[in-house]
Amino acid sequence: MRILVSWLRELVTLPVGAGSPVNIDELAGLLTMRGFEVGAVEPWPAGPANPTSQAGPAGGNEPPDAVLDLEITTNRPDCLSVLGIAREVGTVYGTDLRMPELWSDDDDDQRDPIAVTIDDADVDLCPRYAGALVDVEVGPSPRWLAARLEAADVRPINNVVDVTNYVMLELGHPMHAFDLDRLAGPEIRVRRARAGETIRTLDGVQRQLESEMLVIADAERAQAVAGVMGGADSEVSSTTRTIVLEAAYFNPIAVRRTGKRIGLATDASYRFERGADVEAPVRAIARARQLLATIGAGQPRGPVVDRYPTPPAPIVVRLRHHRIGHLLGQTIDAAFVAPTLTRLGFDPQLEPATDPPVWRVTVPTFRVDVSREEDLIEEVARHHGYDTLPTTYPAPTEPARPSGPWRARDHLVRQLLTGCGFSEAITYGFIEREPALAIHANAEDIVTLRNPLSEKGAVLRPSLLPGLVDSLIHNRRRERQDIRLFEVGSRFCHRDGETPALALAMTGDAVACHWSGPERKTDLFDLTGVLVRLCEGFGGVATFEPGTAGHLVPGRTACVRLRVADATTVLGTVGQLDPGFAHARGLTGSDAVYVAELDLRLLTTGAFDHLRATPVPRYPSITRDLSIEIDDVLPAVRVRDTIRAAAGPALVSIKEFDRYVGAGIAEGAVSLSIRLTFRAPDRTLTDTEVQSVTDDVVRALARNHQAKLR
Amino acid sequence: MPPPTDIDAIRTAFQADLEEVVSDQNLQTVRDRYLGRKQGALAALMQSMAGAPPADRPALGKAANALKRTIEQALANRRKTLQASARPAGGVDVTLPGRETPFGRRHPLTLIREQVESIFGAMGFEILQGPQVEDDYHNFEALNMPPDHPARDMQDTFYLDRPMPGAGGTPSTHPATLLRTHTSGMQIRYMETHQPPVRIIAPGVVYRRDTPDLTHSPMFVQVEGLLVDEGITMADLKGTLITFLQAFFDADIRVMFRPSFFPYTEPSAEVFISCVFCDGTGCPVCKKTGWLEILGCGMVHPAVFEAVGYDPERYTGWAFGLGIDRVALLKHRVDDIRLFYDNDLRLLEQFPH
Ligand SMILES: [Zn+2]
Repeated sequence: MRILVSWLRELVTLPVGAGSPVNIDELAGLLTMRGFEVGAVEPWPAGPANPTSQAGPAGGNEPPDAVLDLEITTNRPDCLSVLGIAREVGTVYGTDLRMPELWSDDDDDQRDPIAVTIDDADVDLCPRYAGALVDVEVGPSPRWLAARLEAADVRPINNVVDVTNYVMLELGHPMHAFDLDRLAGPEIRVRRARAGETIRTLDGVQRQLESEMLVIADAERAQAVAGVMGGADSEVSSTTRTIVLEAAYFNPIAVRRTGKRIGLATDASYRFERGADVEAPVRAIARARQLLATIGAGQPRGPVVDRYPTPPAPIVVRLRHHRIGHLLGQTIDAAFVAPTLTRLGFDPQLEPATDPPVWRVTVPTFRVDVSREEDLIEEVARHHGYDTLPTTYPAPTEPARPSGPWRARDHLVRQLLTGCGFSEAITYGFIEREPALAIHANAEDIVTLRNPLSEKGAVLRPSLLPGLVDSLIHNRRRERQDIRLFEVGSRFCHRDGETPALALAMTGDAVACHWSGPERKTDLFDLTGVLVRLCEGFGGVATFEPGTAGHLVPGRTACVRLRVADATTVLGTVGQLDPGFAHARGLTGSDAVYVAELDLRLLTTGAFDHLRATPVPRYPSITRDLSIEIDDVLPAVRVRDTIRAAAGPALVSIKEFDRYVGAGIAEGAVSLSIRLTFRAPDRTLTDTEVQSVTDDVVRALARNHQAKLR
Repeated sequence: MPPPTDIDAIRTAFQADLEEVVSDQNLQTVRDRYLGRKQGALAALMQSMAGAPPADRPALGKAANALKRTIEQALANRRKTLQASARPAGGVDVTLPGRETPFGRRHPLTLIREQVESIFGAMGFEILQGPQVEDDYHNFEALNMPPDHPARDMQDTFYLDRPMPGAGGTPSTHPATLLRTHTSGMQIRYMETHQPPVRIIAPGVVYRRDTPDLTHSPMFVQVEGLLVDEGITMADLKGTLITFLQAFFDADIRVMFRPSFFPYTEPSAEVFISCVFCDGTGCPVCKKTGWLEILGCGMVHPAVFEAVGYDPERYTGWAFGLGIDRVALLKHRVDDIRLFYDNDLRLLEQFPH
């Protein structure tokens, strides 16, 4: 809302320092501190907007003028006007309001009253409609009037339309003018649109109306979309001789719905949908008639016809003085409270024999935001100044409740993974449909947005991987080669709803290029190793089984299992990302990317809560190395299972320390070297004992896997 | 000094000499002195025994041999010790780069969020997490924003094309139909299931249908706080938030509260801190005002209490909402909010572990 200071000064006295003009910056600061943020103070030429200025463009002795660019919050439609701001300014400075001059109807002038009907069923959409005639001579507005509109960023059109806009800016009430001769007779019908009815609005667009929309019609057809925009057919033009001035009160929700439905937002709809003043219409018409007469643009004819079937009872709110202090933390002098409310247009009446005082406060109809005691307390606080309130610290009355287990879990995940060289990413919750489908094949299960910003965010992510891979590629395309990223976040699908997940992605070197030796490229086992570390951090053991997933390379994909205590769960998948997927996301080059995604619900802290330490071994261990030749497709985990089953409790660890294919090894076979470590808790094992167990292991390997000892 | 010639004196002298040995070379000298074939003390001892009475010779010989073994053993032990503590030959270029163990970083928005959590945690606030896909009731209606309320325009919303199961897949009387525009829904859920006193903060990502630009992202991270008890005042709100802001930014910053509007608080305020870049003197970041807008807050609207079944006569409370992204932009002078979601390691790696 842009307001010219000189216009404001017409409605309220601004204090002027001795010999110095009003300090406009100070005024702006005071308004800002009362909830009307002045975004900018624009200096404005003083002469043109002054109706009484006789001086040339250079101006006479007028004080400097300026435009205040005010931010008006949605709860204060009354301040979308010079009058509303003037009322606030008057409260700030303790100066009186001057209401603009209104046309006094001549009660004897009963010429040609127009007929206004509001369908009974539609009174809820239009509780009040006022109309009146003015004989006009359409032409340009006087310079001062046009200049004031321009200062408010409203384009001058002609004197009649300009006056309706002027009144809207001044009093805050939207108006409309119809060309009487272009209506089907002197009659206004307020009704819902008929099925199939259309209207060409002032912007020249033919619009389809719907039966919930309220229109202003003549005897034949819709001439305006109520509260939103007038129709082109009855638009005021240079040949217009008589106008019907409209000032009405329309239901805020109905105007809002209609505006949204037909895709129109106007200065009028903006005010109506926030709430206009139901008592303003007649005053607005009187003001417009006065202005038209004053500027020689027209002569009012006949009475104002006011259809207002059921005026609402005034809202009265009790305000208890002690409650002000109760909410604000400081007592505000009663001598401040009542006068402040009065200046703002409220009518506070002291209830008899109340101590501390209680007021019965009548709320003015333009204050659509006030209906409860707290609303009044805010008015008092606003004008007293938030900076005058003390600062206190509320003492806890109960010990803090611990936060949910998710917090410790997410914290531990971050700790473990940053320790493994992974940096945390945060990516959007919505992604493109295509990568979502590539990972989560069930299209029905994917959650789609009704109003995405673009196709790039069409669906809620069923997996964190598309976003994380995009971030990896973003880095890869910016000369970064070694990338390790993870993300903790929600994923979404119709079947499971919203669930927490963890995703990891890595590419580049696992062992960085260094002067002391060669680098080594990342492979799957770097990532599975990280998952082992992660699970260990949660007190569990990660195991891997061959697996499949649409977005991962077959044969380089594993299902990740987590064993905690005796329970085993499927935690997720890990594997090499399908190069086709990476390529489709924009990865150039042939870098292998390894990814994993885990269900975070299965990682729970607390595995260590009941930890009982086992004694530190007191006797030495003995190791035995075996080299066996086995089928190269035999999973290592099977070999381990066999060894473990055969070795018994003395075996404390198995480590595969070499894997060799080539000369000396049969086609389709592999040489696997394994180090077995044995230890007993109660004595030093003898060579004979260990040899006997090792022989058992070798026999079992031969029996189960046709393993040959090398 | 010539070596002594009787057994005890030789032993004593050897012990003293051995003490002095610090190198292989010393060790050889001592060996030669005592075990040398011609000049050694033991050789001399053996020769002197020729002049001893024959009856004494066997005992003397035995003692001399025992001494010889003792000396040999002591010398061998000393050699081992010397070898073990010998310093390696040659140095290395200590200025060459070391082998770095890779370590990652938490996201800057996580760092800020954790700082906020720890400050409020120390003030006794419980930290909550809620669903990102919300229902209209918890995101709007219970917060005094009925359908068609113009204030809904302040939070342009993403909607699902059909409802999703509610949080954790539980069926709900309120179907989840939108992406939460703030984390206030969690506060409603909490009040629905807990009686005052309430001291909670709810951090998390939220969504607004804003076209991305330097300061807007359709997804961003927010922390909201809520305190409800008997006798809670706006002065408490000021005190708590000033405590937080001074702990977070700097003990010297000034804090300003200015009237504002939110449908779920009354009175409502916007909170500003003195510009951390110019110390309040005016600069491009604060647009020469000396102040930076940092959060929105207010006293909980009685309609919100009524929606969750609290008696607004008995209880009062306050709530605030803080944009983590905005704080991160200001605190670390990042100039484009979208950088946080690009996850560019060149940005991430500037932040601490
Ligand atoms: Zn500054």
